[in-house]
Amino acid sequence: MSFIPGLGLIRGMSLTLRRFFEPKVTIKYPEVAANVATKFRGRLQLLYDEYGTLKCETCFQCAQACPIECIDMGGLDTRGRYHVHWGPPETYGERRDESALRRSGRTVPDRRFDHFAPTDMDPVDAILAEHDHDPARMLEILTAVQAAYGHLPVAVLKRISFRTGAWYAMLYGTASYYRNLSFEPPAVAVGAPSSARRTAEATYVDGLAAALGAGRPAKGSRKPD
Amino acid sequence: MTTLLQAPAGWPSILLERVVSGDGGAAEPLRLKKAARAGAFEGLRRAVRDLGSAGTIALVAASGLRGRGGSGFPTGDKWRACATTDAPRRYVVANGYSADPAARGDLELMERDPYAVIEGAAIAAFAVGAGEAIVAVRAEATAAIASLTRAITEATAAGHVGPDALGSGQSIAISLRTVQGAYMLGEETVLLKALEGRRGQPEQRPPHPAVSGLSDLPTIVQNVQTLAAAAWILRKGPDAFRESGSADSPGTILVTIRGSAGDGVAEVPLGTPLREVVRLAGRPTAGRTLKAVLVGGPSGGILPPEVLDTAYDFGPLRAAGAHVGSGSVVAADDRACVVDLARLLTRFCADEACGKTIPCRIGTRRLLEIGDRIAEGRPRPDDPVLLADLAADIVGSGLCDHERLATLPFTSGLRYFRAELDAHILHSSCPAGVCRPISVAAAAAT
Ligand SMILES: Cc1cc2nc3c(=O)[nH]c(=O)nc-3n(C[C@H](O)[C@H](O)[C@H](O)COP(=O)(O)O)c2cc1C
Ligand code: SF4
Ligand code: FES
Repeated sequence: MSFIPGLGLIRGMSLTLRRFFEPKVTIKYPEVAANVATKFRGRLQLLYDEYGTLKCETCFQCAQACPIECIDMGGLDTRGRYHVHWGPPETYGERRDESALRRSGRTVPDRRFDHFAPTDMDPVDAILAEHDHDPARMLEILTAVQAAYGHLPVAVLKRISFRTGAWYAMLYGTASYYRNLSFEPPAVAVGAPSSARRTAEATYVDGLAAALGAGRPAKGSRKPD
Repeated sequence: MTTLLQAPAGWPSILLERVVSGDGGAAEPLRLKKAARAGAFEGLRRAVRDLGSAGTIALVAASGLRGRGGSGFPTGDKWRACATTDAPRRYVVANGYSADPAARGDLELMERDPYAVIEGAAIAAFAVGAGEAIVAVRAEATAAIASLTRAITEATAAGHVGPDALGSGQSIAISLRTVQGAYMLGEETVLLKALEGRRGQPEQRPPHPAVSGLSDLPTIVQNVQTLAAAAWILRKGPDAFRESGSADSPGTILVTIRGSAGDGVAEVPLGTPLREVVRLAGRPTAGRTLKAVLVGGPSGGILPPEVLDTAYDFGPLRAAGAHVGSGSVVAADDRACVVDLARLLTRFCADEACGKTIPCRIGTRRLLEIGDRIAEGRPRPDDPVLLADLAADIVGSGLCDHERLATLPFTSGLRYFRAELDAHILHSSCPAGVCRPISVAAAAAT
């Protein structure tokens, strides 16, 4: 608070005017790189497409890459599955309400699992116990969960994240990469990326056989099953 | 198991020595007793009792052994880099993933003589001071898994490996891990990610895994054939090893050969002219001539018969526009269309690209689009230039070898089969009659 009335206003305006008359600079990246502080990360901004829809498709790539896990998200992916990623509660503005509740001693509703159809958590808890809740054994855990449930229900992934302390984004990254893991129950898996990718190998093996002479069976090559 | 192709007399047998000398390629994997009688774990014993860690590494370096996983990196250098890095623990990972669905060399070795792989892994572990060696195998490769599992159990029970390997006082635990679900798992940094339970995308190098690998600890990732060769070298000595193969790349490699006449796996001395390798698959069917040889698997180069004098070796093949890669050699006769073949390979590479970087995610896609345009008869006049430019950019900016090598099918096609490409581009016609360019399809419809 200043003692001379209007001083703040003048200061503010002078900055505006200075910026206004400053020469504008366009740096021709990548030929020329701006000299920015090493901590500079730019500004995160979600873009909208020409129909006004959010372009983010909840792929979690940014949340996986973020070194301090400051990117939080919840939303529908391209196949209409709801995914959520919430990091450590203390660091998030979005969690201020919950945090306030917690500090005031009231119970905090765990909204984490609200969005999902009721899912039996006993099998996943047993699998987690068997694997020491060890995030380094995530691939084995996910393979076991896939075997137990037939697919990876999002609620179960959330549970694994909650119990092992592994970020949901990391889990999602692992679960969505391997062809043998699938978010969809087997019946709906038709046309899903997992099954589309499964055929990459078959397309190649069959195509090679065809190139060697029409229709000759691919003897000796491993047919994917 | 696939047939082992009959090799010409005088070709050495190193990797499959015990298999071939046994009962001429028996259908059953070896048992420990029989393998031990034929020299299994003699190399490890020599390393532990006589040579010590530094001596073992020096011996492997002296043999000139290079990695059989495709890169041809000198194995001795890798072990030395790992052993000289300060760390509380180290790991050895035997890469038995066998990513190329059409290559069977690694699988044949693991199925028929698992002890060679286990002994090699134990030697590497002893040399660099790793307490743990992990053999990583594709979950679908059930025969290799069964054979390795039994071999690990037997070798551990016999005390060759385990808590006090061969009475050395050093613990060398060998374990088997299965992974599955992506072609890229064959790549070393991706394989390590999978073993850590993470998304399978490559990491930037340096640091190489030998310095910072599994759980950021120094890790030797080595192809299973490289390990089997190391075991042989420890047993027979580096000079015996240098007697086979070329001066740059001593020793042999398992090659999966497919032609219109037959297919199988053969142990080929490095430096053998490609012509002799192709001949192992027999002659083309009557009335057909050899048109192109695809060397290196899905990201291989397509070579014409004129360059069949090229040595099957890391350096010469790269210079010719192909690479050793998965050790697969496919001979196509004149029914095949090079554009169609290159497109098939590029599609596989683009489908399997991990998506981490732009050359990988978008570069391979654009390559495929250009290939599709040419094959479907709607090329743009500058497509060959665009193809060459794009390939050069991908090679220059790629993060891992996958996208760099994925340019080979089309760059080698451009280099050797320009006339066939031009027929597609300029006249919308496919000389081999494989592609159905739009104009042809339209003409057929009217
Ligand atoms: C796309 C890609 C796939 C690969 N697949 C395999 C494989 O299936 N088996 C293998 O041993 N090496 C594979 N490699 C090579 C490995 O990255 C690594 O170089 C090798 O395992 C090191 O062992 P070496 O020095 O004994 O060759 C692959 C590399 C790339 C880029
Ligand atoms: S989740 Fe994926 S699509 Fe959404 S902002 Fe992050 S990186 Fe972009
Ligand atoms: S395959 Fe994605 S970076 Fe190489």
